[in-house]
Amino acid sequence: MSEKELAIIRDIPNNDWFVSGHGACPGCGMTIAVKNIMRIIGNNSTVYVPASCLIVVSAVYPTSSFRTPLFFTAFENTGAVTTGIKAAYRRLGKDATVVGIAGDGGTFDIGLQALSGAAERGEDVLYVCVDNEAYMNTGIQRSGSTPFGAWTTTTPVGKKTKGKRQMKKDMMDLVIGHNVEYAATLSIAHYNDFVKKVDKAKRKSGFRFLHVLTPCVPGWKTESAKTVEIAKLAVETGMWTLFEYEDGEARATYRPKQLLPVTDYLQLQGRFRHMPSEDIKVLQRWVCNKYYWHFGHEAEQPACAMFKGEPEMHFDGDPLHGV
Amino acid sequence: MFEVRFHGRGGQGAVMAAQTFAEAAVLEGHHAQAFPYFGAERRGAPVRAFARVDDKRITIKSQIYEPDMLVIMDESLLDIDPVADGLKPTGSVVMNTTKAPQDVDIGVAVRCATVDAIPIALETIKAPIVNTAILGAVAKICDLVTIESIKTSINDRFGEKLGEQAARMNSLAAEMAYARTVVGICKGERTIVRPKVWLPTWKELPQGTALGEDTLSGVTVGPGGSLGNYTGTWRTITPKYDQEKCVRCLRCWFCCPEGCIKRLEDDHVKWDYRYCKGCGICANICPADAIHMVKGAMEP
Ligand SMILES: Cc1ncc(C[n+]2csc(CCOP(=O)(O)OP(=O)(O)O)c2C)c(N)n1
Ligand code: SF4
Repeated sequence: MSEKELAIIRDIPNNDWFVSGHGACPGCGMTIAVKNIMRIIGNNSTVYVPASCLIVVSAVYPTSSFRTPLFFTAFENTGAVTTGIKAAYRRLGKDATVVGIAGDGGTFDIGLQALSGAAERGEDVLYVCVDNEAYMNTGIQRSGSTPFGAWTTTTPVGKKTKGKRQMKKDMMDLVIGHNVEYAATLSIAHYNDFVKKVDKAKRKSGFRFLHVLTPCVPGWKTESAKTVEIAKLAVETGMWTLFEYEDGEARATYRPKQLLPVTDYLQLQGRFRHMPSEDIKVLQRWVCNKYYWHFGHEAEQPACAMFKGEPEMHFDGDPLHGV
Repeated sequence: MFEVRFHGRGGQGAVMAAQTFAEAAVLEGHHAQAFPYFGAERRGAPVRAFARVDDKRITIKSQIYEPDMLVIMDESLLDIDPVADGLKPTGSVVMNTTKAPQDVDIGVAVRCATVDAIPIALETIKAPIVNTAILGAVAKICDLVTIESIKTSINDRFGEKLGEQAARMNSLAAEMAYARTVVGICKGERTIVRPKVWLPTWKELPQGTALGEDTLSGVTVGPGGSLGNYTGTWRTITPKYDQEKCVRCLRCWFCCPEGCIKRLEDDHVKWDYRYCKGCGICANICPADAIHMVKGAMEP
């Protein structure tokens, strides 16, 4: 591909392939991600979406919001179906980008084996996970992606438990474990970083994985206007880390100078409102550990935000430090 | 058989209202069922819920097309949804409005109960959620339930889900609405415009149900066909753009979930208000303070 590389918002082609009229909640983060990914990927592409909010809001038969071919089968199939579509194109001698866009449930949980198969075989497809940290389409059930402490209908808050008891699964680590062509985490609030990574993924061939954090208004119990602000705070507090993996190496693409305390992120979301301070400390420690696990080997370190009386953390060469 | 169709917006609790009504009917010794419309509707979108009451077991499971009673939780729906479609001329309507029954026009002149439910909800449950207050008005006009059975049903349903205090405030809302409801006859002047639908027989369905960009029976179908769905009707607040202040950073163009902010040649922007749901993200992220949200759905 010889076209100019994209680096900033202005470089995004002014053409919509994911159009208005879809039924997503006002302020839905997922549609921001999908709309811009489609602008960059362009119309020489075929999209596959499994059961999730995205298919339900964008493909009410007989219409669809995608102006590209759109395909839909069962929940667990993204890796397998995208593989099949690409194989058909190869057979037809046609060169088109095949994109699978799945939710976190469809990626972390039920779609994991098909994803693993496609990644391991090195299929030439682009897999996008739009991560809203729960099964939103069916009414907010926990997934492997739901963060520690978060309320969902299946991790209720009451006298006995206070939200989810397990930590968020490290999906990027699992994908990278397949030695894929390209994998990156994206944030809808870090525009230029977003543009560069989607463009890079488009140019490469082989298995490519983009993981976008997409705030969800009813599921996270937030104000619709704050979707992008919250996505930004996720990065600034370290709850979401921006990095990419290519040529066998992971590299941070954006690092906050000083991590903000997780409470800055939690307080804007109803799903965390109940969290007792011990739980917040556990989460903060997890964030710091994750941060050093990801970036510890790189020279500069932000001092991790800890609470009064807690010792500050620095990477000491042991990724399991403090666990 | 008595059939009721509830009209609200996603998030207003229309389904809960239908269920509570059905349960009250059961408490009065009837058979009843309630269920939501299963669709893609999200917050703010016009939604429907249904309830049936009979003296014998109810076996029919379809949606309700010719209701005996309508419950309209949000008056603005009348302008965007054919709410009164199929309402029997002998039927009735319950509506949340500041107007008196004779000033309401739903398109069919029927018996009409009105109540200004928002202030009641604000006073009792401290939120503009009218699904319980409106049930008080239902009790006033519908013989199948009484205000007592409605209150018991609210206590059962809300007490279990939200606790005793919430249950008490919600049944107080119903009681206050019952007292304030006015009954009369509404107007039938409005024309009810039904949306066009494409209803193929199975033989007319394309192979694999795959569709290309097309217009069938006047309906746009296929890729990009959602452009026929004007989601701007969901809006309650509207962005106002000040081009003078705009620094052409295009962040709003990037961040609009609807894709309804259009990018012009010179990188200024323009809204397609037919689709804007009024989420407010553009105003929140604009670094130049060039976008403000104003109350109401009117285009600036
Ligand atoms: C095999 C199977 N199990 C369950 C379902 C029901 N189902 C449809 S969408 C969905 C949730 C999807 O969650 P996620 O993948 O996280 O996407 P989101 O809706 O959150 O975007 C479920 C459980 C299904 N369609 N197929
Ligand atoms: S439930 Fe969440 S992810 Fe689904 S459409 Fe609404 S905001 Fe988007």
